[in-house]
Amino acid sequence: MSIATTAEAGAGSLPVPPSAPRPSVRSPVAALVGPGVLLVVLLLIGPLAILLRYSFNRFVPGELMVSAMTAENYVRFFADPYYQGVLWTTLRISFVSSAICLVLGFPVAYTLVRLAGPRLKALLIICLVLPLMMGNAVRTAAWMVILGERGLASSLVSLLGIADRLSLMYTETAVIIGLVSVLLPFMILTLQSVLEGIDRSLEDAAGSLGADHITILWRILLPLALPGILAGTMLCFTLSMNAYATPVLIGGPQFHAMAPEVYLQVQRAMNWPFGAALAFILMLTTLVLTVGATALAQRRYRRWSE
Amino acid sequence: MHRNSIMAGFDRRQLLAGTGSALALLALGGRASAASGQMVVSNWGGDWNDRTMKFMEQPLVEAKGIKIVRDLGLEPERKSKLLAERKLPRGSVDVVHLNDSDAFEMKSHDAISDLDFSKIPNGKDIIAPLRKSYFIPWLYSGVVIITNKDKVKEPPKAYKDIWDPRFAGRIGLTNQLYFNYMMISSLITSGNLTSVEKGREKLAELRTKFSPRIYATHQQMAAALAAGEVDVVLNYKARGLQWIKDGLPLAITYPEEGAVAVTFGACLPNKAPNKEAAYVYFDGMLDRKAMANLAAASFYAPANGAAELSPELRAKIDFSEAERAKLKFPDYAYVAKNTAEWLEWWNKNVARS
Repeated sequence: MSIATTAEAGAGSLPVPPSAPRPSVRSPVAALVGPGVLLVVLLLIGPLAILLRYSFNRFVPGELMVSAMTAENYVRFFADPYYQGVLWTTLRISFVSSAICLVLGFPVAYTLVRLAGPRLKALLIICLVLPLMMGNAVRTAAWMVILGERGLASSLVSLLGIADRLSLMYTETAVIIGLVSVLLPFMILTLQSVLEGIDRSLEDAAGSLGADHITILWRILLPLALPGILAGTMLCFTLSMNAYATPVLIGGPQFHAMAPEVYLQVQRAMNWPFGAALAFILMLTTLVLTVGATALAQRRYRRWSE
Repeated sequence: MHRNSIMAGFDRRQLLAGTGSALALLALGGRASAASGQMVVSNWGGDWNDRTMKFMEQPLVEAKGIKIVRDLGLEPERKSKLLAERKLPRGSVDVVHLNDSDAFEMKSHDAISDLDFSKIPNGKDIIAPLRKSYFIPWLYSGVVIITNKDKVKEPPKAYKDIWDPRFAGRIGLTNQLYFNYMMISSLITSGNLTSVEKGREKLAELRTKFSPRIYATHQQMAAALAAGEVDVVLNYKARGLQWIKDGLPLAITYPEEGAVAVTFGACLPNKAPNKEAAYVYFDGMLDRKAMANLAAASFYAPANGAAELSPELRAKIDFSEAERAKLKFPDYAYVAKNTAEWLEWWNKNVARS
C-alpha cells in the first residue's frame, strides 16, 4: 500500500473499495536512488575514467602531459625492477599485516561475543572504536614517538638490558606494527558482527557429542565464521595496500610503497600519466587478489560445509 | 504488485527532483565570493606562515583593509592547483608563494604572469642576481655545510670534502632537498650545475661507501643532530642558524665551490581575481623594515638589499660580498626539464633501504 493511501485512510476518509482502480501514485524510488547514483557517477566513476585516459598519455618533462594513446607508462612499470619491487613490498606488508590482524583479532572478537559480560563488552567496544575517531596520521605520529631511536620502545629495551639501542623506526617491521595498530579494530569489529550470528548451541552440541575445543574451532566455528574472516581480511588487505600515512611517516624516505609512489609521481614529479598508470596497477592488483581470494574461499567453504 | 508499483514509479520527474535537491546541496558549499578587498594567498603553513602573517601581512596588507584568506599547504599541491586553474575563466588564488625553480616552471607552463614593477615601488631595492620579471624574490639562502662543532674538530671546507671515511655513517641529508644534492654532485665533478648526469655517480658512491642517513623533514633532521645520530649535514644556512638559536652546538661552513642557492618569493597567477590587492601584497613583501624583521626571525637573507638590518645581524645571516658572488643559482630550464627524472634516480639509488 502506498504512503498516500495510508495517509488518506489515517485522515479518516472513506476506505478505498478493493475493486476501485488504484490512484496513480509515484513511488519515491527514483528520488531516493537518483542522488546516490549521480554522486557515485560524478565523484567516483568520472574521475576514474579521466585517470584511466591520463594513464595512456605521454609525459614530456617541462611540458607535463601530452595527449597520446600509448602503453609506455604500463610498459615502464613492468620493465623496471624498481617499481616491481615497490609493488612486492606493498603486497608483502599487506599480507603480513592482514594475517597478524586475523590472528590477533579472532580471539578478541570471540571473547567479546562469548565470554565478556555486557559491561565488559560495552567497554571493550568503546576501546575499539575510540582509535577510529582519531585520524590515521595522529595515531601514526604517536607510533613515531614510540618507535623512534630515542623513543619509548628503545628506552624500554635498554632499561631491561636486552640491547643497547632498538632502531625500529624507518623499517618494514615498524610499518607493519603501525598498519596492524590502524587495522586491528576493523578486523575485530567485522569478526564480532559475524560471530554474533553464530548460534552458541551449535558449539554446545558439538561439545556434547565429544568434540574438543580444537575440533569445535576447526569444524564448527571457523567454517561458519568464514564470511566474516574473509570480509575482515579483505578490508584490512585493501586498506593496507592503499595505506599512505603509515608508510610515509613510519617507513621514512627510504621505504617505498605504492600509494606514496603514486603521490610522488603525481605531485612531486608532476608525471600525471605515470602516476595514473601506477594508480591503476595498484587498483587492479588489489581487485584481482580480493576477488580471486573471495572466489577461492567460497569454493572451499562449500566443500568444507559438505 | 508492490514490486510492480516500485518499477512503474521510477519516473523522470522524481529523478529530476531528487537530483535537483542533491545538486542544490552541493551548490551550498560553493566558493565564497571574492568581494573587493579580499584576497587569497597560497603559502606554506607552519612557522613560515606565522612569520609571514606577523611581520608582513598583518601590518602591511590587512592594515590597509584587505582581508586575506590563506590557502596553506606544501608546494606540490599548490602548484597542481595553479596548473589545474590555468584553463578556468577565473582562478581562486591571488598570490602564490613559491621557490625560484618552481616559479620558473609555473611560468613556463603559462600559469603565472609577468609583473608590472611600476606598481611595486620597493622593487627597485631587489638585489641584482635575484631579479626576475615574473617573481618577487623575498628571502634567500644557500646550501652550506653544517657540522656538530663538538664532534667535528676539522669541518669539511668544500662539498667534495664530505666524501671522506671520517664521516661514514655521520652524514645527514634531507629528502626533499634531493635536487640540491643532485646539483651539488654536478658542481663537484664539473664545476657547474648542469652536468648532473655525470656528477650523480658521486651521490651513488656516497650512498654505498658512507651510508648517509636520510630524513623526511627539517624537523627530523634537527632532532637527529640533537640526538647525535648525524654530525655533518648539508642544508640551507638559514636552517643551520635556526638550529644554533635552538641551542645546538653547530658550526656553519660556506663551501669552497660556492653554495647552491635557493630563493623563496611570490608570483601572480594569470587568473588572479584581485590583481590590485596582489600588487599591494608584493610591495609589502619588499618593505625594508618588514624584510629586516622577517630576516631576523627566520635567518634567511633578505632579497631587499636596502633592508634595515643591524650590521651584526647582517654579518650573521647574510652572505658576504665574496660569498654572494660565488652563489650558484640553478639553471631553471635545466632543473624543470630534469627534476622528474632526478627524483626517480634519487629514489632508486640513494633513498633506498
